[in-house]
Amino acid sequence: MIGRKYSRDVAIVGVGMIRWGRYPEKTIQELAAEAVLNALRDARLSPREIESAVSGSYHWIRQQAGVTGLLSGNFTLDLLGIDRIPLVNVANACATGHAAFREACLAIASGEVDVSLAFAGDKSALGFFRPQSDDPNDVDYIRFKLGITNPAYWAMMCRRRMHDLGTTEDDLAMVKVITSKAGALNPYARYQKVFSREEVLKSPMVCDPFRLYMICTTSDGAAAVVLAEYQKARKITDKPVLVEGVGLATPSFGEPEVATAKFLSSFSKKGVPPYSQVWNAAGRAYSQAGRRPEDIDAIELSDNSPWQYFAYLEAILNLDYGEAEKLLRRGDTDPINGRIPVGPSGGFGAFGEATAAQGLAQICELTWQLRGQGGGRQVRKELKVALAQTHGYAGNAGVCILSRGW
Amino acid sequence: MAKPQKPIIEGLFTWPSDQPKLIGGKCRKCGVIVFPKTLYCPNPECEKDPNNMEPTLLSNHGRLWSWTITTVPPPPPFRFSEPFKPYAIGIVELPEGVKVVGLLTTTQKLNIGAEVRLKICKLFEDEENEYITWMWDPI
Repeated sequence: MIGRKYSRDVAIVGVGMIRWGRYPEKTIQELAAEAVLNALRDARLSPREIESAVSGSYHWIRQQAGVTGLLSGNFTLDLLGIDRIPLVNVANACATGHAAFREACLAIASGEVDVSLAFAGDKSALGFFRPQSDDPNDVDYIRFKLGITNPAYWAMMCRRRMHDLGTTEDDLAMVKVITSKAGALNPYARYQKVFSREEVLKSPMVCDPFRLYMICTTSDGAAAVVLAEYQKARKITDKPVLVEGVGLATPSFGEPEVATAKFLSSFSKKGVPPYSQVWNAAGRAYSQAGRRPEDIDAIELSDNSPWQYFAYLEAILNLDYGEAEKLLRRGDTDPINGRIPVGPSGGFGAFGEATAAQGLAQICELTWQLRGQGGGRQVRKELKVALAQTHGYAGNAGVCILSRGW
Repeated sequence: MAKPQKPIIEGLFTWPSDQPKLIGGKCRKCGVIVFPKTLYCPNPECEKDPNNMEPTLLSNHGRLWSWTITTVPPPPPFRFSEPFKPYAIGIVELPEGVKVVGLLTTTQKLNIGAEVRLKICKLFEDEENEYITWMWDPI
């Protein structure tokens, strides 16, 4: 997998977000604007100093927001009085945050601008996701017509994993239990509560083997990241966080997972792992960064369900099928005290997914962690290099590798 | 009088038919099978010539690769006969190597590896029609 080093180094100089939750009284743009202002305040920059912007597009436009959601970035910049600059609205499903982040990095790496902004607001809080058309040629419409929701796909992958590897219900519950410990300490998390094994295992079944507390909810949220060319970044902040690699990728031909293979069928090719796009994105990010999995000190991953936690951990750390459960059982992935802390933010379980903003929220968290600003949830080990991963519907994946740039 | 039976989505399975089958596509060059049929073969090695992709009827039996039971009603456009009952979904591996999703006819005694057969069943009805889809029926 080829990932080339940027022509100019790029660093994070400011991050900001809002607490995840439900905000029926606010628009997506108002949520996004608040996150942008927080990021600008963190960077001690004025809106005038932003030279280029990328915004994550809202996906559930048929239910809320319409075209103002699709072109959310335009309406947010208007609200903030940020005028004249180039703006791109991007949509890569739940990996939108990483896609926006990459575009913002490229604007600097290419030499086009010195300071750029990536941001997104989202109001996903409507339970199960649903199709955005009535078109019988839309495979997404067809699968929803058949009653196959996102958690149903994850549940089938998890059931198979349990069959192949002996993964237990206790393992599934443990993912929520350990990540919730960090979530309880995060002022930005929607659910600041420690969950016990019993609570998780007694919660109602939703998609067997998944119970309610094993799968993430959907939330409203917004996050923003301000980036600068590295030399300029060093003048803006004492603690610039270096962007070492950003890998975006689609699946390999022969992807076995049915939802990734566009919902109704898959035709596996030997050697292609499920969610190959995540392996591909990680490969690109590592290659660009000149790093190996052993270099990673902390991870934020898109743990929509325990199955994703296991599958993504294996993709990120290049592990054999079944190794993730072993790391979990040994406590290696404890989000605060682990050997490789996973989900110091509390993860998707504590946040609930605000799709377009989630990848940027992960980058906010890792920036704080690398700077030592994680408060009660600050990971105990010394951090030099951290990795964030998101996965989006229809075969989108994003992985970025960040490090201390001071 | 019985109501007319209407597929919930047209063109995905042969109907009416005594031996209904799913309609997929097969590449003449490399043998890749897709469902539903696509314009081009998705294999990066194959040239993007629509003539390479021919319609193919998929096997009407296979083995259950995995399954789940959904116990809360999903949102529209899914429609069901009231009252809502938990329903099972499966991924079935067909002899030709393709995996296909579908509802299962039962939520009882589901086992990975079990043999299943394609069956056309009613999903819901309104005043005019019964709406039907393919389901996988454990043998």
